[in-house]
Amino acid sequence: MDLSRIDRRIIYLVIAVAVAVPLLIKVPLPVSVGPEVRKVFGEIDGLPARKFIMMSFDFEASSMAEIQPVAEALIRHAFEKDLRIVGLALFSEGTAIGYNIISALADEYGKSYGEDFIYLGFRPQYVSAILGMGERIDQVYPLDYLNNDWTDFSSFSDVNNYRDISLVVSIADGSLPTYWVEYAGSRYGQKIAAGITAVMATSYYPYTASGQLVGFVGGLKGAAEYESLLGYVGSGHRGMLAQSSGHLAIIALVVLANIAALRKKK
Amino acid sequence: MTDLGTLMALVLTILVFSFLYKENPFYRFAEYLLVGISVGYYLVIICRNTIYPLVIEQLFFEGEYLVLVPVCLGLLMFARLNKRWAYLSRLPLSLMIGFGAGISIPAMLQARILRQMSASMQSLATINGVVILVGIISTIAYFYFSKRQEGVFGKVTRLGTYFLMVFFGATFGYTVMSRISLLIGRFEFILRDALGVIS
Repeated sequence: MDLSRIDRRIIYLVIAVAVAVPLLIKVPLPVSVGPEVRKVFGEIDGLPARKFIMMSFDFEASSMAEIQPVAEALIRHAFEKDLRIVGLALFSEGTAIGYNIISALADEYGKSYGEDFIYLGFRPQYVSAILGMGERIDQVYPLDYLNNDWTDFSSFSDVNNYRDISLVVSIADGSLPTYWVEYAGSRYGQKIAAGITAVMATSYYPYTASGQLVGFVGGLKGAAEYESLLGYVGSGHRGMLAQSSGHLAIIALVVLANIAALRKKK
Repeated sequence: MTDLGTLMALVLTILVFSFLYKENPFYRFAEYLLVGISVGYYLVIICRNTIYPLVIEQLFFEGEYLVLVPVCLGLLMFARLNKRWAYLSRLPLSLMIGFGAGISIPAMLQARILRQMSASMQSLATINGVVILVGIISTIAYFYFSKRQEGVFGKVTRLGTYFLMVFFGATFGYTVMSRISLLIGRFEFILRDALGVIS
């Protein structure tokens, strides 16, 4: 059989089976927690109750499958620690998704809008928005996502700028955390953490090593690590068997392709 | 099947996946639908979340007439649509470029170069410190094109390529992980939300 002439649709089918079948089997895989995730967890865990944490939903719907478990794990932790969340979005597509995720979890934890969290919505020109919030958040966001004057909420009336925010978490599928580091971190000394897609992870190791980022939660694996620190089984954990099985299938295909290439050379 | 939204999402997922078999009009329909909806959604978000609170509200309810300055500058961008008045769009463009360069150059120098250089200066008493030093020097040497890459210098640049390959390999591994995660998300949706096969 000439492996180099194998129909690409067979490869798709192999990957589909390798990913779908493990989802039907509930076998929990052990997850080892990396230092980057542990640092983010430690930072949030160490904050006193009622402190403010800013969560920026900087992603698009296409990466939701990977980012949502990350966002959920981080928001759960913040709510469990009784932190107050200021949500916002610097990518338009993340606006409604971020609001839905945060509202659903607020219902689950019995948190109320205006008391435990607010959602400021979207602003274009992320550099201007990030810089502007260093001076006054209410000038960048005079109204929240629901068109309320959010400074009227007594729980959030003390939030003026980054000095009042203990940690900014950029939940992103692109390079937005870099801008948070450059403009909020370098200029205003704001602590930044990131929840990112796995594909972006290699770009953020240098920022964590230099201390510019507190740490990052990378992709479904990062979400599973964070869930294990929180002690619950979420979408991250549930997907780990399928993830491992998918990886094994890819490795097998790479090996087969190399064997085919070597045979052809001979 | 829970609701109409789930059914629509299931049908659209199948339409997009049909591309894996071969290019077809159903896939293209789903693709165009995505483009159209994305543009519509973006316009709604911009109007509701930006133009209303930052322009309409400020101008008509708060009496902040200074808002007219950025609004007029923004409108000047549309002058490009007319050849006679196109030159007027240079004013807001030059402001944007000037502001962008002025803000980003020092920030990038500080965050991407100075802080990274300082973080890479580690004690050579540790293995990590030595690996980082050798990695940085050999990789930068690889991108030095004013000298032939031969002899000792060639060996150093070759070492740099190995460091680069490790980086590319790690990036590829993470990319595979990322794409598999997206596929898991879709299968979870199909099996759990749409078909109710898993809980």
